[in-house]
Amino acid sequence: MSDDRIEVRGLTKTYEGGDPARPALDRVDLDVPRRHFVSLIGPSGCGKSTLLRVLAGLERPDSGHVAVFGSTPERMCAAKAVGLVPQTPALLPWLNVRRNVVLPSRVNRRAGNAAGDPDELLSMVGLEDVARKYPHQLSGGMQQRVAIARAFGIRPDVLLMDEPFSALDEFTREALQLHLLRLWEHMSTTVVFVTHSVREAVTLSDRIVVMSARPGRVHEVLPVDLPRPRGSGVTADPRLHRVEDRVRASLQVAWESGAAPDDLVPL
Amino acid sequence: MATGTSPDVRPRPTTVPAAHPRRRRRSVLHPALWLPTVVAVLLVGTAWTVIAAEQPYILPTLSEVGTTLVDDPGLFVRNAWSTLQIALIGVAWGAGLAFVLALLMSEIPILRRAIMPLAVVLNVTPVIALAPALVVAFGFGMTPKVIVTAIITFFPVLINVTTGLRSVPPPVLHVFSTLHASRFEVLLRLRVPSSLPYTLAALRVVLPLSIVGAVVAEFVAAGSSSGLGTMIRNAASNAQLPHVYAAVACLAAMGVLMLAFTATVERRLLFWHESQQRTP
Ligand SMILES: Nc1ncnc2c1ncn2[C@@H]1O[C@H](COP(=O)(O)OP(=O)(O)OP(=O)(O)O)[C@@H](O)[C@H]1O
Ligand SMILES: [Mg+2]
Repeated sequence: MSDDRIEVRGLTKTYEGGDPARPALDRVDLDVPRRHFVSLIGPSGCGKSTLLRVLAGLERPDSGHVAVFGSTPERMCAAKAVGLVPQTPALLPWLNVRRNVVLPSRVNRRAGNAAGDPDELLSMVGLEDVARKYPHQLSGGMQQRVAIARAFGIRPDVLLMDEPFSALDEFTREALQLHLLRLWEHMSTTVVFVTHSVREAVTLSDRIVVMSARPGRVHEVLPVDLPRPRGSGVTADPRLHRVEDRVRASLQVAWESGAAPDDLVPL
Repeated sequence: MATGTSPDVRPRPTTVPAAHPRRRRRSVLHPALWLPTVVAVLLVGTAWTVIAAEQPYILPTLSEVGTTLVDDPGLFVRNAWSTLQIALIGVAWGAGLAFVLALLMSEIPILRRAIMPLAVVLNVTPVIALAPALVVAFGFGMTPKVIVTAIITFFPVLINVTTGLRSVPPPVLHVFSTLHASRFEVLLRLRVPSSLPYTLAALRVVLPLSIVGAVVAEFVAAGSSSGLGTMIRNAASNAQLPHVYAAVACLAAMGVLMLAFTATVERRLLFWHESQQRTP
């Protein structure tokens, strides 16, 4: 067991009522070194969200072992060292933006994490002007930025993000990716990021974990050796396109190996 | 703001709140809003006048009802206040106990399974049938009337608050879970605010219901000497129809006031909820 990485070994998870022959996660291994940015990508239903929930201590594995920096997910949460950005922003609609961002420092005070300055966090995601507004007055992209600022507010050791940008248009999405990279470099957090977008995975990550479905397995782990810091110019880099092609090819194989016969029937 | 003055100087995009009063003013003047009410009032008024002229033992004329009200307004105010007191004390007990019980049930599942069947049985029991027995048991004071009102208002609040406390979206619960928030923090910061729309919806039903409860309790409580229900019962047995309808008008006015009150509270407390968002 190592103190400077997230370590998953032989993780198997079958949901209640699920087919035991096809677990949601089947003997999954995963390594995320501290301060790295790792993306999970794979066909729908391959267990990306499940894996994230196990790392967040929200779901118990049937077998295998999970260590987050030498500790258990539950203990990491108890120490308020885990930030979660779900697929929907999950803000509290009765609190204004600023109060939403400081919320994590208000609960579980015993763990007493030094809270980041909410105004600084909001300005880092470009939202200093809407601090007093309520979530229903914001666009989807702005809400998602609030959720990110909230997750960074406790300065988490681990940040778990489940398709945080999937509901946004391409330009908003690219802008938010840059915001996220800036915050990540600033805070030096470890990020596990679920996405369906190859471009997004390559732009953000140090390492991409390609998964296959039925059962959910790790198909291949691909390194992304693009220089940091990455700005808006990264999409012009020819190396980016080479990595993208490799991820696409790997995904194709993963998808075919795991697709149900129905999925392969031509239209 | 943490830095500088620039954010305060810049014109803010405050179009959302500014649009509200303007739209509301226009909508009040819009015929579609008041025309149906005016037409309905005219139709019913005309029908009433015709019937009252033909059959004075079925309906008093509107002017008789009006005169009765104007002749002794103090009588009606006193009795309305008496009924209102019973209604409000009853609803405070009924809704208050239901709220507390719903909180306990949301935290203690065994309690939910023990109490829910009892509550359902209580709800399908016609409480009005119980009223005479309660009067025998608790004497002729306020107590039996308050109890009837409390029982009638208890169940809708219990059901709604229970549903509301469970209406938190799973992703929000997950965020709280990863922060290791205690059950109490989840209850206080998440479940109770989430249940507010449900609680207020229950109040909207239960406040007018409390008047019904109080009036019915007054009907059956033989020795009762005040309240609009008592007044209606006594006036009806003396064939004083104008008094009956004047009292009914007072009850209707009380109901309208209560609805207006809940609507205001909802607008204040639930500005963030989709039920309060204006759809153009
Ligand atoms: N709460 C649950 N109960 C039962 N089965 C579940 C539950 N959540 C997920 N599953 C099943 O587990 C498998 C993996 O689901 P998961 O949500 O982790 O996939 P995913 O990779 O996140 O998919 P997507 O890309 O569509 O979000 C699926 O077959 C799904 O049906
Ligand atoms: Mg998912």
